[in-house]
Amino acid sequence: MAENSTLRLAWRGLGRNRKRSVLAIAAIGLGQFAFLATAGIMRGYADHYFDSVTGPLVGHVQIVAPGWREERAVDQTLDNVEAMLAAIRGQAQVARAVPRIYAPVLAALEEEGFVGMVVGADPALEGVANGLLGSEQLAGLLGDGRVLVGKGLARQHGIEAGAELAVVGQDIDGSIASALYEVAAVVESPVELVNSTGIVAGLQDAQALLRMDDEAHEITVRLHEAEQINQAADSLGAQSALQGVEIKRWHEVIPQLAGIIKMMDMYSLVVLGIVCLASIAGIANTMMMSTFERRRELGMLLALGANPGRLFRMVATEAVLLGALGVLLGTVLGACFAALTAGSGFDLAELGGEESFEMGFQGVQIASRVYPEVRASDVLAGVSAVLVTALSACVWPLLHVARLEPVEAMRT
Amino acid sequence: MKIGRIGLLLVPMLCAAPSESQDAVPEAQALLEQFDEMYRSTGTAARIEIKVERPKKVRTMQMRSWSQGEDKALVVIDAPARDAGTATLRVGSNLWNYLPKISRTIRVPPALMMGAWMGSDLTNDDLVRESSYAHDYEIAGIGPSEEPPGWQVDLAAKPEVPGLWERVEVVFKRTERLPVLARYYDRKGRLSRTMQLEEIKEMGDRRIPTRIVIVPEREEGRRTVLTYLHVEFDVELDESLFSLAQLERRR
Repeated sequence: MAENSTLRLAWRGLGRNRKRSVLAIAAIGLGQFAFLATAGIMRGYADHYFDSVTGPLVGHVQIVAPGWREERAVDQTLDNVEAMLAAIRGQAQVARAVPRIYAPVLAALEEEGFVGMVVGADPALEGVANGLLGSEQLAGLLGDGRVLVGKGLARQHGIEAGAELAVVGQDIDGSIASALYEVAAVVESPVELVNSTGIVAGLQDAQALLRMDDEAHEITVRLHEAEQINQAADSLGAQSALQGVEIKRWHEVIPQLAGIIKMMDMYSLVVLGIVCLASIAGIANTMMMSTFERRRELGMLLALGANPGRLFRMVATEAVLLGALGVLLGTVLGACFAALTAGSGFDLAELGGEESFEMGFQGVQIASRVYPEVRASDVLAGVSAVLVTALSACVWPLLHVARLEPVEAMRT
Repeated sequence: MKIGRIGLLLVPMLCAAPSESQDAVPEAQALLEQFDEMYRSTGTAARIEIKVERPKKVRTMQMRSWSQGEDKALVVIDAPARDAGTATLRVGSNLWNYLPKISRTIRVPPALMMGAWMGSDLTNDDLVRESSYAHDYEIAGIGPSEEPPGWQVDLAAKPEVPGLWERVEVVFKRTERLPVLARYYDRKGRLSRTMQLEEIKEMGDRRIPTRIVIVPEREEGRRTVLTYLHVEFDVELDESLFSLAQLERRR
């Protein structure tokens, strides 16, 4: 009963100066909305970066010959690749394991040479959603001297489907490697490296060009769950077929992108901090004004024998109510934002009046369109932060109440 | 001289016997001009062996080369059999590779000029560059060298000449005034490559270093050894030898 009346009194307290309360609620609401939107956008970007990076190009775990990552010399190959693949695929955490070959070449349609990169890929493994080609139809065109050429390279040098492309490089013995390929199609890959310089050949064609046996430069491993990365890397390292090779987790392969993803999480926390500050200012100001205005009334209640603890609860409830209403408003706005952008995404470039774009970063294609992902945990984080702030913000008003001398207060 | 001329085996040397005493400081400009002229000739034909040493393997190639004046050269690989017939033609600053296996001639683009030539420690650029020590560098000083013993000429790149090297040190033998060592420093002032000129022999009526060892710095276990097996200077060569048509006909 007493709690009910405290709530009622608190509610009435907020209604004393509606404009002030509405302004405070709006400020807190806006803060919560800003936090939810930022967290959603940042998570959307982080997830997009993570998928772009670990998806087609890097994978969750990479297996390469020692030193290959630094030097990328064509003869730094993994041997007995078939046995390695069998051992890797035997691990429960592993979803896919894909061998690849990379060889810089001089390519030419006619006489003029240009720089390219022969990427040896297994057609049976690269046509799936997270593969280098992402299309079974395209992957099916590979092999028997047929190659796919990245759209950037094709545009730059006028390469079209059906053209005959000569490539010259060095094989793993250091001798001259040369081949004539037929361009089966020009492709747009999720991997920037393929788009800008890639001449994607069947794994066997690439092995033949470079005089490799059962060899490849890299095995890219994708796991069922990204969270199992450490466990998976450790158990792969224990396999006898994988001794003497380098096993790298994705964030060791591209630490810069891992750093960016980490920074995005931090950015959301910074916004949460700003929300807390805004709430503190809004709630503290409102509650201070409200308690000062009610000095006389509070003094009278104390003189009539009201328990100071009840007055404390009343002020605290009022603060929490103010925060809760604000956070509710912000959450509703945040939910609307999430619902509106869930399917279509949200293009930051268009928002700034520019055309949407895709950029290549570290061989990965990254788009300006983002699909925000607001989670219940974000709402909870916002709610908890605002409520904790609300309680902290009413410490000063409470101290004021505690110091009230009933007679003194009634005189003012 | 320049690596390009060594690589393609270019021109005649005027190996004048020194007339002054061994202790008198020679004129640096004269030494450099002698270096430039060492392999230069109106027409040169040679057989060369290039051994490319890498940490895990050694690859040996044998080739024939012809050159005319300063800007025309043709190199055809004879061995190993796998690479036989592969040829490089240089005319001016253009470089073409002929690949017999696919019967194609491809011009090397500017972007690949710094790439390795046939997998060696020579770059494509080494083969085409017109650089001349006497013209492209300013003499920064000359003095005695302890190791190897001789006269060391310090060269600084002229600001208007584009090139890889900021500074070059060339050491000449005291007795014959022939170069024995060159150290190349990059734009950051780091020693980047060392070239040793060894086994001075009479060949093609000239005394020339017949073994050139190129050692890239900071790359353990790598070097390229170029050995002249046979050289003829001032021979008459047909102009048409240095044409794309001829390049493709050679197969």
